Amino acid sequence: MTKILTRICKWIGVPGAIIVVSCGGLTWLIGCASNKPSGEVSAGAAHPEKSGAQLWAENCVRCHNIRSPGSLSPAQWEVAMMHMRVRANLTPEEHKKILEFLKSGG
Amino acid sequence: MNRSYFSFLNRIIVCGPTALAFIVIPLSVSAQDVNSTSSDYVSRAEYDKLKAEHEAMKQELEALKATVRQMATAPSPGAAPAQPAVPAEGPSENKQVVTTTSTVDELRQEVDALKLQIKETFPGTTKFLLAGYGTAAFTARSGEDPFFDAAFNALFLWKLTDRLFFEGEMELEFEDEATDLNLEVAQASYLLNDYMTIGLGRFLNPMNFFVERQHMNWVNKLPDKPLAVYDGIFPESEMGAQLRGVIPIGPTKLEYAAFVANAPGLITESDDVSEIGMLDFDNDANFGGHVAVGGHVGFIPIPEVEVGYGIQRSKVGPRDQAVENILQSVDVNYVRDATWLKGLINLRAEWGWSHVDHFVYDADGSQGFGPLSFNNNRNGGYAQIAYRPTHLDNDIVRNLEGVFRYDRINQMHTPVGFDEQRWTFGLNYWVTPSAVLKLAYEVDDKNGGARDQNAFMMQAAVGF
Repeated sequence: MTKILTRICKWIGVPGAIIVVSCGGLTWLIGCASNKPSGEVSAGAAHPEKSGAQLWAENCVRCHNIRSPGSLSPAQWEVAMMHMRVRANLTPEEHKKILEFLKSGG
Repeated sequence: MNRSYFSFLNRIIVCGPTALAFIVIPLSVSAQDVNSTSSDYVSRAEYDKLKAEHEAMKQELEALKATVRQMATAPSPGAAPAQPAVPAEGPSENKQVVTTTSTVDELRQEVDALKLQIKETFPGTTKFLLAGYGTAAFTARSGEDPFFDAAFNALFLWKLTDRLFFEGEMELEFEDEATDLNLEVAQASYLLNDYMTIGLGRFLNPMNFFVERQHMNWVNKLPDKPLAVYDGIFPESEMGAQLRGVIPIGPTKLEYAAFVANAPGLITESDDVSEIGMLDFDNDANFGGHVAVGGHVGFIPIPEVEVGYGIQRSKVGPRDQAVENILQSVDVNYVRDATWLKGLINLRAEWGWSHVDHFVYDADGSQGFGPLSFNNNRNGGYAQIAYRPTHLDNDIVRNLEGVFRYDRINQMHTPVGFDEQRWTFGLNYWVTPSAVLKLAYEVDDKNGGARDQNAFMMQAAVGF
């Protein structure tokens, strides 16, 4: 077992192994513990007090100008926000609240 | 007499009320009967009134039915609602018409919502979004002919289910008197759980913050892109699989991405000697058969700040002479829109390092420049500040944005033979949040005897 681990570490490098194992393991554990369908807000969410408008302003502006909720239809926002959830690493809570805000038209 | 008189009076006093009682009680009972009788039997006037009300209600019901039928067969949800054909004959009728109209509005909203729900179940219609950006530019660089340029990047997004998502990005641009079509992204993503997403295909390089989040022309603050981190020492996209997500830790967030992908190639043969030792990031056929492993970790302690570290490691070069390659990057980002700043300030910096182990190029001298070996370490990056006075009242001024960037690449000891640094000053005007006109002047400085190439650049970029 130790031999296999040593070979894997040698192949991907120690930093790579640390990133993959620690992030993957931690996330898997948290994901399994929460055991919720995608889109539901987790109990241990990071911003229980923040509104969708606040999260929209904070997260979007980190990379680009914030776009008006009226610039896309509710159905289009669903697709755009799924894209942003993956690209910008949004938490499920952020994704849900921002999407609700955008779909409501602001 | 007196006695008989009093006796008579006494009888009157006693019998009077009794007689009165006998007279009044039946009368009162009779009166109650009359009243009760009036509720059982309707007068002609009351009948006519009730009949008229009944007729009016029937007309309203018919009008409602007709309206619902019209809405059900209406060509578009935006069509105006039909008005019920109820004549407004008085105040009570007006009130009824208002109530009916509001009921019809509610019905219409419900029907619209249902229509939308039904429509959303159709695959490939409302679950699809065409996004992207277009660019037109002009560049006048010293030592080169000035030129106009245009590019178009189409981003196709499909949400197939709540967990499955596909994105594809195609770039069309003019290059060498021809139109180039490049597949930038083609990735299927699946949300394994709330904190973990797996992606397969071709994806933007997760270890490079600028490439993944900032390279889009309507997002990038200047007409050109920084040295080293873009089209420099890092790949722009990877072909393989990635695992990514975010872990909320109290009020902070930890982002992560880990990937395996085709390794870059090592340029060991070229007509242009300055390219020798560079990495070939268009190694889609994966010559050499190596696999790159890498990742990126980003920490967001407060919403305005993000710091990250990325790494990629692989073997490069011919299979029998492969050498180690390590790419690393550090990025810092601070974005704050504050009243005391009277606007939006945007600070970004990224630095990267590339290391390729010792390799002897053209070992037998057959290419005419070998045997050649050198210290194949390169590094570079950029620091940028942008400010836009978004809190000012003047519409024109608050849409202006000043930008300054310093970028640099160090590769003096490679066959390239020089280091380069640039200072770029830019002024942007934001027409909309995703449409910008950019003007910039770039001061270039190369050492090692290479010619400096200052540049004037203009660019219009539109994101959609």
